[in-house]
Amino acid sequence: MATALERSGVEELDRLKHRVATLEQLFEVYERTAIEQANKLEQLLEERKRAERELQKHKLHLEELVAARTAELRRANEQLKIDIAAREQAEQELALKAQELARSNADLEKFAYVASHDLQEPLRMVASYTQLLARRYKGKLDADADDFIGFAVDGANRMQQLIQDLLSYSRLTTRGKALELTETRRACDIAVKNLRRAIEESGAKVAVDDLPVVLGDVTQLSQLFQNLIGNGIKYCSDREPEVRVAAKTNGPEWIFSVRDNGIGIEPQYFERIFQMFQRLHTRKDYPGTGMGLAICRKIVERHGGSIWVESQPGHGSTFWFTIPRAERTQP
Amino acid sequence: MNSRTIEILLVEDNPGDARLTLEAFKEGKVLNNITIMGDGVEALAYLRRQGHYAGAVQPDLILLDLNLPKMDGREVLAEIKADEQLKKIPVVVLTTSEAEEDVARAYSSHANCYITKPVELEQFLNVVQSIDSFWLSLVKLPSQ
Repeated sequence: MATALERSGVEELDRLKHRVATLEQLFEVYERTAIEQANKLEQLLEERKRAERELQKHKLHLEELVAARTAELRRANEQLKIDIAAREQAEQELALKAQELARSNADLEKFAYVASHDLQEPLRMVASYTQLLARRYKGKLDADADDFIGFAVDGANRMQQLIQDLLSYSRLTTRGKALELTETRRACDIAVKNLRRAIEESGAKVAVDDLPVVLGDVTQLSQLFQNLIGNGIKYCSDREPEVRVAAKTNGPEWIFSVRDNGIGIEPQYFERIFQMFQRLHTRKDYPGTGMGLAICRKIVERHGGSIWVESQPGHGSTFWFTIPRAERTQP
Repeated sequence: MNSRTIEILLVEDNPGDARLTLEAFKEGKVLNNITIMGDGVEALAYLRRQGHYAGAVQPDLILLDLNLPKMDGREVLAEIKADEQLKKIPVVVLTTSEAEEDVARAYSSHANCYITKPVELEQFLNVVQSIDSFWLSLVKLPSQ
């Protein structure tokens, strides 16, 4: 019995041992797996921590960036405010300057008017009495006296012409009439009529194309045409003078042209000729005060346009000027 | 045609202008005697023979400038034409003013004619010549 028992005990023990061994094996596997899993988990945790750190770093960087950018923007904003203030000040100064300029311009015009007007009276005395001297005593004194009287008369006459022109120049703004619908053809006809003598004497041909209706001052426009056509006749070459007046539309404005076949103008004088008292010739060759084209420019500018010249010496000149189109155009 | 000496009153404040008119009349055909008054008040006193002008001769023609000291030509003209004794005397307004307003006002005050003094001597002489031949020769003036 005992043996059987012992046997069965041993068997049982063996089974148990086997079982333990199996369990140990299993345990080993589990343990290994557990360790592996734990390692993996740790790794993952590590990675996650790293990622978090990374994220934190990025976040910090981003915050820095935002802060930097905000500061930059703030600075830019401040600068902009300073700029705006400076600009506003500059604009104010500019407005003030413009005002001053307008005032000094008005003063100058008034001065020119008063000066030329008040100079006329004493000058009339000088001119009248030198002329009276010439009339009464020419050829009765000696040759020198005749010369001296001649120079005095000539000087007084020229000064009279200058002052007359200066006065008409300053009158363009001080005495200008309000602009109204005006047939430029009529203004041109008046000019041609006034130039009749010069046209007859020179044998000039003056052709006038269709001209529009504009907002204008008929007196001033006829003076403008008269000066331009008159120049075309005056500055003529050997040929008989030919002058053609025309107009064409160009968007919101009319472009007028006065073309001649005269001596022409060198390009370097294209600007200068429109300035006051500027002349390109001696009085002996072509008399004048140098005010004609300055008057033209002032008239055109008063009508809201501009004036310029195209020319080639020996091949005539074309004077162009613009006047804005009137609301109602052709009659 | 008048043959007696024509009496002219020239009312002009500028001695240069006055003399020039005088010289211009010298070149004319008609015998004349020109008296010059330098301002409006004096001119009226002369015409009305007031004060030391008691012995003044009544002029046949008055040449009147508009811009005068004390009383200007416009007022002088109005006074003359409102005066029964003086209104028959022809008044020639002779001035540098080209203002339409002055022209209209002068005729409204019964000026007999209005002449703008030309700047050029030659033209001025022509104007005086015309005054001479029209007012002093052609026209029949009222007897004194």
